[in-house]
Amino acid sequence: MFIQSPIVERLIESFRRLPGVGRKSAERYALHLLSMPPEQAFDFSAAMREAREGITWCPVCRNLTDTTPCVVCADDRRDQSLICVVEQPTGAMAIEKGGAYRGVYHVLHGVLNPLEGIGPDELQLELLFNRVKGGNISEVIVATNTTAEGEATALYLARRMGALGVQVSRIAHGVPMGGGVEYADAMTLAHALEGRSRI
Amino acid sequence: MMLHTLHCRRFRGLADTTFTPGPGVNIIYGANAQGKTSVLEAILYAATTRSHRTTTDAELARHEGHEFHIVANATRGNSPVTIEAHWWKGAKRFKVNSATQARLSDILGQLCVVFFAPEDITLVKGAASGRRLFLDMELSQLYPVYLRALQQYRHALRQRNELLRQHRDDTEMLAVWEAQLSEHGGVLMRMRAETITELSEIAADLYGRLVADEPLALTYQPDVGAPDAIAETLARARTTDLNRGNTGRGPHRDEMDIRIGDKSARAYGSQGQQKSVALVLKLAEVMLMQRHIGEYPVVLLDEAPAELDSNRAQRLFTVIPDAAQAIITTAQPIELLPLSRENATLFQIEGGCLEPGTH
Ligand SMILES: [Zn+2]
Repeated sequence: MFIQSPIVERLIESFRRLPGVGRKSAERYALHLLSMPPEQAFDFSAAMREAREGITWCPVCRNLTDTTPCVVCADDRRDQSLICVVEQPTGAMAIEKGGAYRGVYHVLHGVLNPLEGIGPDELQLELLFNRVKGGNISEVIVATNTTAEGEATALYLARRMGALGVQVSRIAHGVPMGGGVEYADAMTLAHALEGRSRI
Repeated sequence: MMLHTLHCRRFRGLADTTFTPGPGVNIIYGANAQGKTSVLEAILYAATTRSHRTTTDAELARHEGHEFHIVANATRGNSPVTIEAHWWKGAKRFKVNSATQARLSDILGQLCVVFFAPEDITLVKGAASGRRLFLDMELSQLYPVYLRALQQYRHALRQRNELLRQHRDDTEMLAVWEAQLSEHGGVLMRMRAETITELSEIAADLYGRLVADEPLALTYQPDVGAPDAIAETLARARTTDLNRGNTGRGPHRDEMDIRIGDKSARAYGSQGQQKSVALVLKLAEVMLMQRHIGEYPVVLLDEAPAELDSNRAQRLFTVIPDAAQAIITTAQPIELLPLSRENATLFQIEGGCLEPGTH
């Protein structure tokens, strides 16, 4: 601690709530912020406040948005019958960056995890099922992570939505493009071999 | 596999020390409670990330301190491997050749060891869980694929058990974890079956040559008949499982049956037979590892068996070939050890301090 003050302590503790920030980094950020010109620091806090107040979850796909519905859900040039399910907004962002996907999203904000008390209700899966039941959905692509919980969630969605008569698929997992097989770990390789395709 | 040096800091009652074992047989002698077992425990911890005496790492820190460190320099094949184990304020960190290991499990197999302890007799006479642990440790050191499947199986089991504990009668939720139990459990079953067959052959040969001319046989008794049947078995057991609050069927209930002739060694073996069988199982583990990785594991023997009659013990230990490095502790006068001592490297331990010993 570089200065004994409850105000500074509150700032440090606020930074510590960010992912990957430990005590030392939090102290560094706080010190940095306090060394900035005041306008810059106020601008920083205003940006945070504005974003937090202005951004909500899209009522359709639960992605982060500043419009209702979000620009993706509102875009009629996109294929509204194709839904890609991701765990977090970052997943949708990564796929958007790829630029090739023309469908829409559904953000779960988590995965099924009984040990952490997260079930279908906590993820509000009914929203997704209702989207599918509403008709006009031809395919759902499940792009949850390859963790045990990500896989379990994918299978759960496949079973529930398969019963609704929609086609459900899982994204393929494999060797990164431009990467040699010798750099892939054993699990990735095993998956890549299982999901091989004919050429 | 050879251990060149072992540095310990703040570990158990050991003085901060460097232990430099030689090739072949090493004998650490000293009175009880001087730290003999702690030396082997430190090696075991570096090799497997766990102790045989406790599951609470804090107990391994000297004087209930908040840290301990172990560094082991070894050779695996022709490559040097350095394993560092650091425990600091409850956090456990392992490095292999200076690279931090994200998963503790990646340590297993870097330095293969087989540990003999006086309580090994429970391997034969105790509960099935001891025999499963024996198999799991052996297979995990040999095959990363097995270890990975074991961890994923256990994880899925915890998830399914949590649903059962909450009495959540949700077929779809149970089914997704059953699918994972089936996938990973299938790997466990297939690899256990293969290994037990191989282990049985080796153990039967050793037992016949070294102990008695009686047929020793190990048989895999899986809880579920076949890997393909796991998912269906779990699905059928849902109601029962919801009532008992956990998963009653599956590879976590497997058994390895040990028979001498047509009798169960667990139920009908004499104390002497059970001890011999336990030793033979561990020796068979040593041989099996040599077959699969092309070199012997480091053999750690805590308390050279004083109670086995010395001829039999002598014969058992002549099986450990000169090529294997062995580290043996004893509280007896070393003259009484059933081992040839000419080429052994001796160490004396007193109050946690290791000193070169004298012949
Ligand atoms: Zn939307």
